[in-house]
Amino acid sequence: MRLHRHAPQLLRALRAAGGWTLTALTAVLLAEALLPAAHAAALGLLVEGVQEAAHTRRPGAVTGSLLVFGAVVLTAEITASAAPALTLLATGRVDGAHRRAVLALTTSCDLAVLNTPAARAAIRDALADRSKGYDCGLSDGALALLRSLASVAGLLAALAVIGLHVWWLPAVVLLPACAVRMLRSRRDSALMDDWRSATQEELALDVWRRANLSAVEGQDIRVFGLADWMVARMRGHLRDANKRLWDHVDRQIRSAWRPAALVAAGLLPAFVTVSADAAAGHTPAAAAVAVFAGSWAVFQVLSAQTNSYLIAGGVRVVLATREVHRLLTPTPAGAERADAGRGQPPHVVFEQVRFRYPGAGRTVLDGVDLEIRPGELLAVVGANGAGKTTLITLLCGLYQPAQGRLLVDGVDLAAIDARKWRERLCVVFQDFVRYPLTLAENIGLGRGDMVPEPTALRRAAVRSGLSTTVEKLPHGWDTPLNPSRTGGTELSGGQWQRVALTRALYALERGATLLVLDEPAAHLDVAAEHALFDRLAECRGEAGVVVISHRLSTVRRADRIVVLGGGRVVEEGTHRDLIARAGRYARMFAAQAERFRAGEGGPADGREGPVRHTSGSGGAGGAR
Amino acid sequence: MRRYPGLWWSLFRLSWSTHRWLTVSTLSVLLLSVVATGACALALRAAVNAMVAGEGFAAVTAAVPAVAAYAALHVLQDATATCRNAVTNRVARLEVEPGVHREVAALPGIEHLERTDYLDRLKAVRDGGTQLVGSMWRVVLTFTSVMKLLVAAGLLGSISPCLLAFVTAAAVPAVCQLKGQRLLNDSQVATMEAVRLEASLAELAVDAGAAPQIRVSGAAPGLGARREAAWAEAHRVRLRARLAASALRLGGWTVFLAALLAGIVLVVGRSASGEASVGDVVLAVTVATSLGQTVQVTVNSTVATTTAGSVIEPYLWLRRYGERARECPPAGGAEVPEALREGIRLQGVTFRYGGSDHEALHGVSCLLPAGAVVAVVGENGSGKSTLVKLLTMLYRPDSGTVLVDGRPLDRLDPEEWRARISAVPQQFGRYPLTVSESVGMGDLAGMADRERITESLRAANADELVDSLPEGLETRLGRELSGVELSEGQWQRLAMARAAMRRSPLLLVLDEPTASIDAVTERAILDRRMTHARAAGRDTGGITVVVSHRLSAVSRADLVLVLAHGRLVEAGPHAELVDRGGPYARMYAAQANAYRDERCP
Repeated sequence: MRLHRHAPQLLRALRAAGGWTLTALTAVLLAEALLPAAHAAALGLLVEGVQEAAHTRRPGAVTGSLLVFGAVVLTAEITASAAPALTLLATGRVDGAHRRAVLALTTSCDLAVLNTPAARAAIRDALADRSKGYDCGLSDGALALLRSLASVAGLLAALAVIGLHVWWLPAVVLLPACAVRMLRSRRDSALMDDWRSATQEELALDVWRRANLSAVEGQDIRVFGLADWMVARMRGHLRDANKRLWDHVDRQIRSAWRPAALVAAGLLPAFVTVSADAAAGHTPAAAAVAVFAGSWAVFQVLSAQTNSYLIAGGVRVVLATREVHRLLTPTPAGAERADAGRGQPPHVVFEQVRFRYPGAGRTVLDGVDLEIRPGELLAVVGANGAGKTTLITLLCGLYQPAQGRLLVDGVDLAAIDARKWRERLCVVFQDFVRYPLTLAENIGLGRGDMVPEPTALRRAAVRSGLSTTVEKLPHGWDTPLNPSRTGGTELSGGQWQRVALTRALYALERGATLLVLDEPAAHLDVAAEHALFDRLAECRGEAGVVVISHRLSTVRRADRIVVLGGGRVVEEGTHRDLIARAGRYARMFAAQAERFRAGEGGPADGREGPVRHTSGSGGAGGAR
Repeated sequence: MRRYPGLWWSLFRLSWSTHRWLTVSTLSVLLLSVVATGACALALRAAVNAMVAGEGFAAVTAAVPAVAAYAALHVLQDATATCRNAVTNRVARLEVEPGVHREVAALPGIEHLERTDYLDRLKAVRDGGTQLVGSMWRVVLTFTSVMKLLVAAGLLGSISPCLLAFVTAAAVPAVCQLKGQRLLNDSQVATMEAVRLEASLAELAVDAGAAPQIRVSGAAPGLGARREAAWAEAHRVRLRARLAASALRLGGWTVFLAALLAGIVLVVGRSASGEASVGDVVLAVTVATSLGQTVQVTVNSTVATTTAGSVIEPYLWLRRYGERARECPPAGGAEVPEALREGIRLQGVTFRYGGSDHEALHGVSCLLPAGAVVAVVGENGSGKSTLVKLLTMLYRPDSGTVLVDGRPLDRLDPEEWRARISAVPQQFGRYPLTVSESVGMGDLAGMADRERITESLRAANADELVDSLPEGLETRLGRELSGVELSEGQWQRLAMARAAMRRSPLLLVLDEPTASIDAVTERAILDRRMTHARAAGRDTGGITVVVSHRLSAVSRADLVLVLAHGRLVEAGPHAELVDRGGPYARMYAAQANAYRDERCP
């Protein structure tokens, strides 16, 4: 990693700190860098004063130099106190602006690129979160760079202090000091590379660190007796991830004494010449003391701890950010405005749509022709992996079809501004997001680009049946839906599902006209599923409703049913039509219904082998 | 606090026995820097005195050790941090953290994973290994810092005992610094929630699963605004604390500076009167300025040690909790039977989740007969999943007993019992492993047996799924580690295959096994499972428990248990219950209706 090439970009990041803060910070850092030299000079003055006082037997002769010394030490304390506060101020602003920029991209870019491994790695590096084990971020690197620029001034000052007394000394001290500095820079840079090489395996380790504290995986771990296997696996990942890094650190510790030789090489000529000269009376003792302290200051200034490591960390962020900008291109925006039909349920047509996910082998959709009529309640059914969910992602314009096209009110979706089109949509995804925010915020984010409207919020809650839940919450609408937040609470799965539905209904209130639901009833019981469908039926007309499901019992009440199979639409029609056609839908329906029909005749059929009948009333003795 | 020294001592011993070389390096570096600081000051004084006295040879011979001491100081400054970080990191990650994970995984139940108050502590321990080991090294650092202080005091005292009075002035900045550091720590704690919120919202903004929804609902601006508000709040609070700490610090050090200058004036006065040498002045100044640094290090490490309580307390809690959990059952006693003859009998089983005010199960008594397929049905929240969690020993009943062929379940060794059961829980793990690992972990002994894995996949109707994957059994799954992402139903089938790795368990639990699987596949899977269960049941008397709120899946069971609000309201074979016309018959009619082919729905 060539650090200096990326320095300008790293420094540019500091602009976000604001002019005044940056000026004050620069001043403090400069003062900090100049202090070792100033300290050396002041010490020389002090010794001179002391000698003079001893010589003339006038203690007052020392007052001036004592005041100078006091001023230097006081300045040191002032900068040491001010620097952390200014640093924190700058850090908050610089990192805040950086995160805003990166996250704005990740929430708006084309979905196809967001999910590529390259993009994910770049985003991870760019954000450099401490919780993910990163130990320095953008502001740390930028401030370290500023500090090391200031140290150049400090270096010159220290060299001046010794050069003033012995003209040839600066060169003798400077060379080994630079060597120490270079060694350290190279080492830190290599360390950062090793550190980065550990990231991938650490991710595999993270999986188990999370799993062991999850009630979900926790059950598997216990039932299948995975504890020891898992811990061994974790240690394996840990060793694999860090082998290079740890070997490097071990080597570094073993050779830690080496710079000592360089330091000695730099200091020895200075100390020996000056002390010999001073003893011989050629140089005043005061000058000797100043040279001692000054040459030590050269080394101190040049090797301020871990500076180059932090700069390398900052450069890593700069490079990753550049990569993020390169990869995360915004979704191509069509020029056509989709608001011509706003307020009306849209008419959507899939024409011979083919699609497969980038990087995946299988074609998911293979020539789909599908119509969503304005205001109808349409059900899409099909086996697992038939591409039902993929239809939604295409409908939302999250991916573009490889072939074929989607028409919205007769206009090609590719030509429409995606944002405008999505304002007309509201979707309840199968794994909907549970924002760790308040209930009101959770609903309001159903249309997060508009100013929240409390009345629309309430209306949506009434329609979804969420209002009764709201009343029971400790702080009503303002209750955070996350138990680890103050005053927060945990909702049950069913309650969350209702929140997700309310979120979509809120979007309807705010002008959306097509409601899409992906497997909304997978974990609802029968009564709840029935109620849900009633609510959806109410929306029809005012908006189009598309329900995706493999449960056919409720789907049958839809206006129209479309059956997906083998990547295309194989059947469509009303429930009655499809049953009459005796095709795939009829078979699926029969399979689900058969259990009940069989049940009517008793459980006798399809029973393999004898079963000891100790069950029944005797077994349920405690039942009421 | 009383148990801390014991913990630190055991951590030091752990460090010593597992990472001897790093431990010794760190200790020697810390001790050497004490020596070097003192040596540096002494050599400097000798050199200066010799120069003033005009003794050339003595001056040069004193300058050489001064150079050596400086060089050593330079190296030690750097090495102290490197060694301490290395030994802390290595011990924490290789020894302490795996130990914590083993401890957590060895807890027989899962209550600690389902109660947020326990979970918060566990997370603190899991993420705090470095802090824990670091706190022990901080104690060592505090010791060596105090040694440095004593050396400094000794050196100053050697010039004039009066200087010792000025050394005590260092207490003022120490107290101020301590106070400031506390303020900073408090602000860290106070802003923890905002920081966590910001982090989790940022996480959502890059999450692949959330990305489609954020785009469609236009949530980005609202989400961004909320995240930035949390960020700004955290920084505002921390900055305020930082400013206060800076002011305190400056005040304290100004007092110390005044004392320092007074001390120097004293030494200068003495040297003017010939009682002290010029070298003494240099020594006093050097020592006094380094004194400031040492005080800072001491204070910071002391504060950091005391705040490590936020990790130490949960760690000690985990150890106690683990001990209690292991002791709680009257250990051992009964052996897991080879085969079931009678079955599993529940007698008045009552259970309430910790922190909950109503009973999840109340007085449930019944017999799950050996060899039977038992269905547990009821609405959401009726206690179905709780019942199976008791059978798999993830929880133990508050009262009542579970008897396995007459032996109390809680007298069995949980590990031995679980070795003989299998389960598809309602929510199962989606492991980013290869297909064969993901299935094979159902029976670790069969991990390498490809034939058994293929067979298990077939049993769960997942063989076609595997054929469609690019690298078959060796395909890595899950987008987390850039593998192939599966659909909900596909994951569920893999979980079924995992459970099928164990061939003839005494108890097989299928909790909502087909919620995300389509009708045709569901039927095929359940048919196959039931056939297998019955065949296996004949040999070992193994019981299959199917939990569902979809009655279509369970009508072929031998025994149906109907739960409502934690009570067993009905039990019997399907036909009998339908005839009885009770709650089950009503539920069944309602669901069957949805499929009946009547003219108007």
